[in-house]
Amino acid sequence: MNDANRSHDRLARWRASLGGWILSGYGVLAYLFLYLPIVILVVFSFNDSRSTSQWQGFTVDWYYAMFDDRQIILSLWNSFFLAVVSTIIATVLGTLIALGLERYSFRGKTAVDSMLYLPVIIPDIAMAIMLLIFFNLSGIGFQPWKVQFFGVKLAVPYSVIIAHVAFNISFVAIVVRARLAQMDRTLEEAAQDLYANSWRTFRRITLPMLMPGIIGGALLAFTLSLDDFVITFFTSGAGFNTLPVRVFGMIKKGVTPKINAVSTLMLVVSLSLVFLSIIMRRRGGDDEPIQFGF
Amino acid sequence: MANAFAVELRNVVKRFGDVTAVNNVSLQIRQGEFFSLLGPSGCGKTTTLRMIAGFEMPTSGEIYIDGEPLGYMPPNKRPVNTVFQHYALFPHMTVEQNVGFGLEMQGVDKAEIRRRVGEALEMVKLSGMEKRRPKQLSGGQQQRVALARALVNRPKVLLLDEPLGALDLKLRKAMQMELKALQEEVGITFIYVTHDQEEALTMSDRIAVMDEGVVHQVDEPENIYERPADRFVADFIGETNFIPARVVQLGPPVVVEIAGRVRVPAAWAEQGLSEGDQALLSIRPEKINLYEERELGEAGPTTARVEGRIQQMVYVGTDTRHTVRLADGSVLVARLQNIHTEEEPWTVGERTIVEWDAAHARVLRV
Ligand SMILES: Nc1ncnc2c1ncn2[C@@H]1O[C@H](COP(=O)(O)OP(=O)(O)OP(=O)(O)O)[C@@H](O)[C@H]1O
Ligand SMILES: [Mg+2]
Repeated sequence: MNDANRSHDRLARWRASLGGWILSGYGVLAYLFLYLPIVILVVFSFNDSRSTSQWQGFTVDWYYAMFDDRQIILSLWNSFFLAVVSTIIATVLGTLIALGLERYSFRGKTAVDSMLYLPVIIPDIAMAIMLLIFFNLSGIGFQPWKVQFFGVKLAVPYSVIIAHVAFNISFVAIVVRARLAQMDRTLEEAAQDLYANSWRTFRRITLPMLMPGIIGGALLAFTLSLDDFVITFFTSGAGFNTLPVRVFGMIKKGVTPKINAVSTLMLVVSLSLVFLSIIMRRRGGDDEPIQFGF
Repeated sequence: MANAFAVELRNVVKRFGDVTAVNNVSLQIRQGEFFSLLGPSGCGKTTTLRMIAGFEMPTSGEIYIDGEPLGYMPPNKRPVNTVFQHYALFPHMTVEQNVGFGLEMQGVDKAEIRRRVGEALEMVKLSGMEKRRPKQLSGGQQQRVALARALVNRPKVLLLDEPLGALDLKLRKAMQMELKALQEEVGITFIYVTHDQEEALTMSDRIAVMDEGVVHQVDEPENIYERPADRFVADFIGETNFIPARVVQLGPPVVVEIAGRVRVPAAWAEQGLSEGDQALLSIRPEKINLYEERELGEAGPTTARVEGRIQQMVYVGTDTRHTVRLADGSVLVARLQNIHTEEEPWTVGERTIVEWDAAHARVLRV
């Protein structure tokens, strides 16, 4: 190799490393932009001052304050109850829809198929207003369902439950359907060949194979329900708060580190659920179904 | 009905939209037979098998097991079991649970299931693997589990769709022998789908050769090879020479004219040919000998001889392929065994007399 060549080489290497530096710098900035607000939010939930802009020292008082606030606790229970109930209903219905769309052909299938994606695509606000109009016109209204949930007395409007089920169904159906589409159908044929009728084939083969998808879909629905603000706000009528709605109410009176604490809590729960959902789906990735005790 | 056929297909047709996958197939499979469906990809083998299993319904025609028409009987009610091409083992169950699944579905009691699963696993040499998952087994072991899972139910008929297709060559050969031995041991009728002619020839009692949904010939392996019924079978099974010929006499004996004016006898002529028709003379390369003029012996009534020139020679180990050009420009291949003798080898361009016995020559439709 001659000298010219060698210096050319060095230049190229230098250029490549410069490119690398710029790229990593850009990456760091992008991540800062995304995560700095979150970091600030979390940090200031531990600030020993009412200020959310000046650091005064570490405390967990705001977390105590949060748990002492009966309104917040009640809204937390409301959120939790709503998420559990709507997830259960949406998971059952969504799974059935996925099975129907993937396994049967019927008239109007294309229409149902494309409508399935509607709640995912349209803006929350449009969905919220649609539902609001629906509840007003249909006379379903905002009557509350009065229940005891883990010993706590709750009054949750049916309208909110129906609304949450309505948007969750789509997400569950889409996730389960993806799983169903990649499932090897000869497994079901093998079961039938081995004297299993349709129901037993479903229970012993299809359902266990689908389980990762169903659980993944359910966790997604649960998270979406917990996090929802717009649809809940519009469809709950007066006097019913979920945690996000409660936080919105508090913000109107000014941001305090208590709100940071609540937000941090929500963040932790949401993130855990998302991770769990990813883990479930990954476990199911290479055709490894989840054992299911029937 | 003790003397009914194990499986019978009468005029079975299966259409998928415009595609006719199986076109008027009639088969009679005997009790305890190792019966193969052989044909190129897409010829309708799998579809035929799936109709017997009950996964597809014939568009028309009827399938019988032990003389009983199956009609619309669902797969779980049919006395047949299937070994799937990719095994279709249940990934969430252990080997033991997989093999026991069929018995469990039939309501056999637990102790009996354990005993029979144990026996079946012993039969396929998988004892000790009961608690493993299919993923923890090699391809060959998975294959055995699939086999045990089907055989443990003691079906009247076992359907196998290219069960060795996913194995490497060596394992494949070993499994061929094992499968055949197993079939003889259990005495169950096997219907075996393959596109590998060697596999079909070595394992089967009888073979049905299929193409484009049509069965061309049903016969024992030797007949399929030595006495192909038509051009497709002769071409698909092994290697053969098709020499353009004109039918002179339908006989007996059959006589055709090849290479211009040379008349040669043949053993058999396909149905539908008449005298004066253009046809093909089919003769396997290993049935042909090459002689120099001075070596020629006495010609019998069944000796066929034609003159040609050596065009090419290719050494392929056990034998050498000699390509010979005839007077009219048609070529044929003779495979001469490489037995060491004093004989001088042929040279390219040399004149030669091609000779065969009419018993091996068949006249087929173009
Ligand atoms: N469910 C189906 N829908 C439409 N066409 C089909 C279907 N199943 C099979 N066919 C068509 O029927 C024909 C026969 O298919 P089949 O699977 O029986 O072939 P095969 O002999 O088993 O081939 P291979 O050796 O490749 O497995 C093919 O042309 C195939 O495309
Ligand atoms: Mg096939």
